[in-house]
Amino acid sequence: MPEQTPVRRILLIDADAFFVAVARLVDPEGAGRAPLLLVGGTAEGRGVVCSASYEARQHGVRSAMPMSRALRLCPGATCVPVPGKACRQKHKEIRAVLERFAPVVQSASIDEWYADLGGTESIYAGASLQTIAHRMRDVVLEETKLRVSIGGGTSKLIAKLAAEGAKPRPENDADGVRVVEPGSEIAFMRELVLADIPGIGPKTTARLAERGLRSVSDVLDRDEAALVRLVGPGDAGWLGRRVRGVDESVVDDREPARSISRDETFPTDIHDDLLLEGELTELVGRAAGDLRGADLRARTVTVRIRDKDFTTRQASRTVDDPLESDRAIFVVARDLLHKLRRARRVPARLLGVALSGFGDPLIRQLSLFDASRPLETERDRIVSRTMDAVRKKFGRDAIAPGRKH
Amino acid sequence: MRFTISREKLQEGLAAVAASIPAKTTLPVLANILIETSDKGIRLSGTDLDIAVSTEVAADVETVGAITVPAKKLSEIARELPPSPVKIAASGEQRITLDCGRSHFKILGLPRDEFPAFPSIRFSESWRIRSGDLQKLISHTSFAVSTEESRPILNGVLWELKPDVMRMVATNGHRLAKMELPIKATGAPSADLIVPPKALEQIRRLFPADEELEIARGENHLGFRSPFTAVYTRLIEGPYPPYDQVIPKDNDRVAIADKVALTSALKRMSVIASDQTHRIRLSFNSGMLRFSVQTPDLGEATDELALRYTGDQLDIGFNASYLLEILRYMPTDEVRFTFKAPERAATVQPEGWNDSATYLCLVMPLRLVD
Repeated sequence: MPEQTPVRRILLIDADAFFVAVARLVDPEGAGRAPLLLVGGTAEGRGVVCSASYEARQHGVRSAMPMSRALRLCPGATCVPVPGKACRQKHKEIRAVLERFAPVVQSASIDEWYADLGGTESIYAGASLQTIAHRMRDVVLEETKLRVSIGGGTSKLIAKLAAEGAKPRPENDADGVRVVEPGSEIAFMRELVLADIPGIGPKTTARLAERGLRSVSDVLDRDEAALVRLVGPGDAGWLGRRVRGVDESVVDDREPARSISRDETFPTDIHDDLLLEGELTELVGRAAGDLRGADLRARTVTVRIRDKDFTTRQASRTVDDPLESDRAIFVVARDLLHKLRRARRVPARLLGVALSGFGDPLIRQLSLFDASRPLETERDRIVSRTMDAVRKKFGRDAIAPGRKH
Repeated sequence: MRFTISREKLQEGLAAVAASIPAKTTLPVLANILIETSDKGIRLSGTDLDIAVSTEVAADVETVGAITVPAKKLSEIARELPPSPVKIAASGEQRITLDCGRSHFKILGLPRDEFPAFPSIRFSESWRIRSGDLQKLISHTSFAVSTEESRPILNGVLWELKPDVMRMVATNGHRLAKMELPIKATGAPSADLIVPPKALEQIRRLFPADEELEIARGENHLGFRSPFTAVYTRLIEGPYPPYDQVIPKDNDRVAIADKVALTSALKRMSVIASDQTHRIRLSFNSGMLRFSVQTPDLGEATDELALRYTGDQLDIGFNASYLLEILRYMPTDEVRFTFKAPERAATVQPEGWNDSATYLCLVMPLRLVD
C-alpha cells in the first residue's frame, strides 16, 4: 500500500493595513487620531501612497498612487512618511510570535508570513487549524497591538487566497480567519475569478477573458482537451493546476535572496545630468555603506529612474567579481544612469540604486588576462572602509566624496 | 511597385530578414522591412544599425519600386495567409495593399528614403570561404564571448584570416575557446577581425553549409554574401588581448575522461554548488577524480569518476558551469584536460579527434582568497 502523504497545514498571516497601523502606533496623537491617513509621502504631494487607511480608501485612494492624486481624491487627509524602522521592528515582533506557534515560518513580505503547522497535530491535541489561527491572531494583537488576518489550507496558494476572504470589512462578516478544509479546495476556488489568483496578472486576465475564461468555474467546467485548444498545452496544464489550488511549493524559512537599495524622490524634478550624477553618488554611498555594514559584496548593480510622467525604468549590470567600494559601484551605476538617460532624457522625479547578487567574498574567479584593470582595487576597498570608520566615529556627514556636484 | 509572389517565397524571405529587426527601437523605420524590386524578383532588407540582412527571393515584378513596411505585422500576415499567390502593390510612398485569395490588407509604411543606407563594401577584394567551414568555427567558439559591457572588445569573436589558415577565438576573460582550420589560399590579404557574435549567428543560420561566401571589409564593417543573401555587420575596434600568451605551454598534469560521465557528475554537483559562483572542487589522483562541493546554508556533496590521470595529486576549484559549457562543445567521446597548478589555466581538448581542425579551450580556476 502506498504511504499516505500527510495533509499539509499551511497558514498565511497578513497584517491588516500594516503601514497605517504602525504609523498610528508610532504617532498616537497625530496619525493615531487621523481617520483619513496616507502613509508614504509628504503633504507637498511628492512620493507615492504606500498604504492608506480604510477611510481614505473609500475615497478611491489606492496603494502605489501618486501622493498628489491621492490628495486630490481625499483632500484634508493626513500624510506621514513610512515609519520604516518601526515597520521592520513590528515585522520581527510578529514573526517571533508566529514562531512560537509553528515550526517553520517564512516571511513573504514586510507584512505577510507563511507558517507550516505540518506535524504539530499531536502538540495541539487535535485542535483545528481554525482554532490555532484564532489563538495566533489573539496573541499577535495582544503582544504587538497589530491585527492580522489568517488564511489556511493545504497549500500556500489556498492559504493566500483564503486570507483575502478572512479580512474583516464592512461588507462582509469575516472574523479574521478563514480555513479551507482539506477536500473542499475546489468548492472554495469556484468562488473566485481568475484575476484573484496570484500569477494571473492583468495581461493574462485579458488574454484569458478573450477566450471566454473569466471565473475559476469557466476553467473547471472545461475538459482538458478543450482547455488545450483555448490556451495551448503549456498554459492549460499550469492553469488547470492553479484553479484547483494545487501548489507544491513549501514554506521555506530561509530568508529570501536579499538586495540592498536606496532611492530618493526629489523635492523637485531633476533634469540636469550632473545633478543626477551627484544624487547617484550619494545613493551609491549609502547603499554601499549598508552593504559593507552587512559584510557583503554585490555582483549586480541596478539603477532605477522614475521620469516626471511616472514612467519607471531600470537597468542592471552583473559583473564577474563582487564589488563593495563606493567608487567601483559608482562607476557601474553611472554607466547605467547614462544608458537610461540616453534612452529617454526627461526630468526625473526619483532615482534609486539596488545592490544584489551577494557572492562569497572569499571565492575569487581567476582571470586569464592579468593586465585587465579590475573594476575594484584593494585601494578602493581601503578608502571605503576608512570612510565607514570615520563616519562611525564622527557621523555620516563627517566625510563626503569630493565630486558630489 | 507591383509584384506577385508565392506565399512560401514571401515567408522564406521574411524569415531570413526578421532576426535582424530590433524588438525595440527609437528610430521607427528600423521596425520596418525594406522591400525593393530587383532583376530576379524582390529584395527584402532589415537592420538594427549593427547588423543588416538582405535577401532576394523570386517574384513576378510588374512595376518596379521600393517601400518599407512594419516587419512584424507583415510576417504575421504572411504566416496566416491562405495558400494562394500574394499580390503586393504600393499605393503612394507610405502604403501597400496585399491581396491573397479573398483576403485584402492595406498596411501603412514609411518611404524608402528613410531606411538607412547599407555600409559600402567593395567585394572586388574579397575572401572566398566555404560557409560550412565558417559555421564550424562559429559554433565551437562564439559561446565563449563576454556578455559584459565593461570590455567591449571581449563582446566580439576574434577572426584571424591568414593565407592558408583561419582561426576564431572568443573569451570572457575567465574561459576561452579557440579553433583553427586550414583553408585554400584565398588571395586576399591577412586580417584580424573582431566580429559581434550576433552577426556570426546570422551567418550560421542563413547560408547553406556547402555555399561559397564572398567576404569583404569596408572601413569598419564586414560584408558576407552569397548569390541571394548578404549580411553586413559592424566590426568591433581595438586590439584583442594577447590570447596566445595565456595558452599554457608547460602543463604537465594530464587527465583523460569520458565526456558523458564527467558531464553527468558535474551536473549532479552543480545542484549543490552556489548559484553565485558555481564553485566545485576537483581532486585528481591516479585513476580517480573526486568531486566535492560545499555551500553554506545548503549542504554538501561528493562524487567520484574513474579516469586516466598522470601527474602529482592536484586539488583545484572551478566554476562548474564553465566546465559544463566547454564539454557541451567538445566533439569527441573523450576529453583531455591538462593542468599545471591550482591557480593556473587548465586546457580542455578533444581526445582522439580525427579532423583537420584543431580545437582548444582554456578555463581559469576559482581561488580561495585568504
